Amino acid sequence: MSVTARLGGAALFVAAVAATAALVHFTVVLLVPVVATHDAYARLADIGPPGTTAPLPRAGPGERRFPWDDPALAASVCRYDLSAGPLRVKAPVGRAGFASLSFHTRRGAVFYALTDRAATRGRMEAVIVTPAQLRVLVAHDDEDDPSQDLRVVSPTAQGFVVMRAFSELPSLYGAAAEQVQTLACATEPPTP
Amino acid sequence: MLVKALAAGAIGLALGVAASGSILADPPFAAVTIGAWRVAAKAGSLEADPYTRAALARSGEIPLALGEGLKLVARADNAGRPLDRRCLYRIGTRTPAARYWTLSLTDADGFSVENAAGRYGFRSSEILRDDDGGFSIYVSALVHAGNWLPIGHVQTFALALRLYDTPLAASAGGIEKSSVPTIEREGCA
Repeated sequence: MSVTARLGGAALFVAAVAATAALVHFTVVLLVPVVATHDAYARLADIGPPGTTAPLPRAGPGERRFPWDDPALAASVCRYDLSAGPLRVKAPVGRAGFASLSFHTRRGAVFYALTDRAATRGRMEAVIVTPAQLRVLVAHDDEDDPSQDLRVVSPTAQGFVVMRAFSELPSLYGAAAEQVQTLACATEPPTP
Repeated sequence: MLVKALAAGAIGLALGVAASGSILADPPFAAVTIGAWRVAAKAGSLEADPYTRAALARSGEIPLALGEGLKLVARADNAGRPLDRRCLYRIGTRTPAARYWTLSLTDADGFSVENAAGRYGFRSSEILRDDDGGFSIYVSALVHAGNWLPIGHVQTFALALRLYDTPLAASAGGIEKSSVPTIEREGCA
């Protein structure tokens, strides 16, 4: 075998390795969110059943489920499944210096958020719907008396809502934890 | 020939998996650098890139929405040296505009670290301030006067600065370097 042929063979080998590595890498990156068994939604399954409000564990040593949670914030969560109907989410504004709701897809990405600054009539409130449910609701809307609901379309049928409340001092954490328990989430009755 | 092809496939598979693991531990594309801090404003949004999405699925983090606030993470000081538990750091004296901010210390994965003082972070609403309204937070394993944030029992650590209800959220890339706290290494044991 000539030197050129050997070099050509080696180059081909390296190219084959690089191409395989790149293909594997991109496949892994795209597949991880689909096959991940310990994403936020899966971890929340241990916290409480869907359709109920459950407190999130406070960030601290020994708590290793939700990285980058802030120990100064109390949080609660409500997992939902829109197959049974739209979900109404509401929470009174309360006394915390800062409170918010964030709406997450099944994969954890945020698709909407509200803070206490955006509250109307003293509460943060929204109705989470699928695109099909939104069409039904809009079709039933009274043109002369339009609904005041804030309707938010969820990109996925399943997902979760997180309420956060800031404690201005360590001693106020308990009050913030009580405040996030006021998060209410309930499936809407079917449209008549 | 077949042996070579199989070998190339096996090595490629191993390389691809290894590269994915290390890249997803700290996805490089979504974040911008501001001083000592890195911020990935869109990390938790629907527009996140595939790397950031995969990293989120693996870590289990529940991201902050842009409308709620921003999370900035530092793993090195202002001179670019990795944070070291044997050193004393002074962090201050200003933060970008926000209704509240917090500064907390975590391990490399974002979890609080056990320490005897039971102190895991500071809030803007509880911190001791200088006469001019600025602040200094001292990060060290040994007790320090003033706002002392203990390092605790960990080898590598990170600092997380959160800005709640900040007008900067929509343009995180435009945060002025001069407006974020500096992380100065004051000395090492």
